[in-house]
Amino acid sequence: MHGGGARRWGYLLVLPVAVFAIATARADTLADVRERGFLRCGVIEGSPGYSTLNDKGERVGFDIDHCKTISAAVFGKVSIEFVPITPNTVFTLLQSGGIDIFPGGATWSFTRDTTMGLDFTGVYMWAGQGFVVHKALGVSRVAELDGATICVAQGTTLEQNLADYFDANGLRYTAITFADIDKGLQAYRADRCDAFTNERVSTAGRISVWPDREDHVILDEVISKEPMAALVRQDDPRWRDIALWSFNVRIAAEELGINQANVSRMRDESDNQEVRRLLGVQGSFGERLGLSNDWAYDIIRIVGNSEDMWNRHFAPLGVSRGLNRTWRDGGLMSALPFR
Amino acid sequence: MRRTWIYQALLLAAIVAALGLIVSATNANLSRLGVETSIDFLWRRAGFEISQSLIPFNANSTIARAFVVALLNTLVLAAAAIVGASVLGLIVGTARLSRNWLVSQLATTYVELFRNIPSLLQIFFWYLVVLRSLPGFRDSLSLGEAARLNNRGLYLAAPEIMTGGGWIAAGFVVAIAAIIGLARWARHRRLVSGRAFPVTVTAIALLVAVPWLAALLGGAALDWDVPQAGRFGYEGGIVIMPEFMALVAGLSVYNATYIGEIVRSGFAAIPRGQVEAADALGLSRWLSFRLVLFPQALRVIIPPLTTVYLNLFKATSLAAAIAYPEIVSVFVGTVNNLVGQPVIIMGITLIIYVLVSLAIAVFMNWYNRRIALTRA
Repeated sequence: MHGGGARRWGYLLVLPVAVFAIATARADTLADVRERGFLRCGVIEGSPGYSTLNDKGERVGFDIDHCKTISAAVFGKVSIEFVPITPNTVFTLLQSGGIDIFPGGATWSFTRDTTMGLDFTGVYMWAGQGFVVHKALGVSRVAELDGATICVAQGTTLEQNLADYFDANGLRYTAITFADIDKGLQAYRADRCDAFTNERVSTAGRISVWPDREDHVILDEVISKEPMAALVRQDDPRWRDIALWSFNVRIAAEELGINQANVSRMRDESDNQEVRRLLGVQGSFGERLGLSNDWAYDIIRIVGNSEDMWNRHFAPLGVSRGLNRTWRDGGLMSALPFR
Repeated sequence: MRRTWIYQALLLAAIVAALGLIVSATNANLSRLGVETSIDFLWRRAGFEISQSLIPFNANSTIARAFVVALLNTLVLAAAAIVGASVLGLIVGTARLSRNWLVSQLATTYVELFRNIPSLLQIFFWYLVVLRSLPGFRDSLSLGEAARLNNRGLYLAAPEIMTGGGWIAAGFVVAIAAIIGLARWARHRRLVSGRAFPVTVTAIALLVAVPWLAALLGGAALDWDVPQAGRFGYEGGIVIMPEFMALVAGLSVYNATYIGEIVRSGFAAIPRGQVEAADALGLSRWLSFRLVLFPQALRVIIPPLTTVYLNLFKATSLAAAIAYPEIVSVFVGTVNNLVGQPVIIMGITLIIYVLVSLAIAVFMNWYNRRIALTRA
């Protein structure tokens, strides 16, 4: 679903969804989730960094933390049923109420937003098509790949992005096109190609388990922009607000200097008005969403701010944060104001 | 008589009706989902690159051209694998009949081993063997400037005719005409006088000498496009991709097991008396093989061989698994991802496979009739 997967299946997904895109009458997801006692969260499995199992057999990853964020906002604790999904089933499952939210990294595009009866809830990850290269080549920028052989997987946009970018920049290359990502990565590893191109962060996840990981470099640049956002049903504006603002809490927390370690101290000691509003010391922001006033405090206590999450899941994979830094640090992440 | 005719007509009508129903239902469903069913997409800009093309192709070419490139890649692969499998199969088949115990046991082991492994696995295996066993770019094996081999492929110097190409072409035409005349004359002389003429050697000499002389006469200039070392590998010349090598190896080795068995059965079908008669005539072992045994074995070999060739041609679609840009990979894979018209694209691809398979079958049947025993 991340990167190549999402785009590869893109057009297939639209068809069944278009058929099933009938607005359902029920529209109080929060009440349903409360009554049920747990959140149903759709997860793609086996994508290190995003969603995988740790050595204790627990689900970990950026997507998993996104589920935990919503659960923390609603229940003040982790109470989730993870529903393993495939790219083929996810949109139908979401439509029919089988899951309450899907944080698995679907690219927010016009067609998806307008034809599927689903809503996106804020870009939580700026992904993009990037390159992994053999370190021995000493390449540090895409422009230096002039004349290189590049392995790529078939996808609705991967090959075209590659051709467009190299053409626009006057670079020559040879594309070796594989039917799936793993075969392409294997061939790259066997030195069939100088570079492999796919969604940058998920590539980092896939190669993180290689014993020879140190011999490969993931270039900082991306040649396409893939804004990923969690999906909810379109028929429940309050639930969409909860998903959007819960996620926004993590960025606001980073901007305000609140993190998992200091959140309790900040609640007790800070005299910044926005911090006090956010953490429920002042005002009743949580109640306006139908939640408790501790909702943001619980989110930060349980999953931390956006930097905590990055450091937990992606930093160990050797992925630089790039566009996913806050705007103050030159990234695109920017909190909507809590006022 | 009349009744069977009625039943046949009814059956035909039922089949046509069923097909019509499927087509109209598919069309209705596709238009309901807003999926196009025209083939206009063929004239759109492709927007992707293909790693091997026999005709000029780049991202600005049309999808129709990409289709032709992919089809040519399929045909080249099939041709190379058919030659490879036939040569290997002939060797294995005759080796199995060898009186040398070691040779026949080796051939038997070969057949039993490779016939019993799925060909897709063999292709993956050979791909890994090719990629892992060949050296990297900096340690390329080289034969001077003419050929270089590394894990990115075999790079050959390509001849580029600068001027006087017409003279060279004319030389080839003259040489081929001379060879045909020579073969007829030699055959006539052998029938009349019994004296043989070394046609093969002369033909090769003619094929080299005549165009070369023509080039000298016409002042033709030939330049070689020699692969040059770039930062990442060799560039220029002719490249034979590792995927192509692995596929030819995999498909040849697998299908040679079947061809070997067919060849063996062909020779086993020749009555013992034929060998003895050839011996009695004082023919050498080579002449007895070439003139007596092989032509008779061929009559038994050709019909089942046609089946193997057809299977081999269809099996080239496995190439999609290892990034060789043949028709399934380029058309059903990349192009379908791009335009999202699976029904039309699958349809075109299926029709192409049927047409080429029929062409192979027609040729083999023609050849079979030509060599068949006739009451002359």
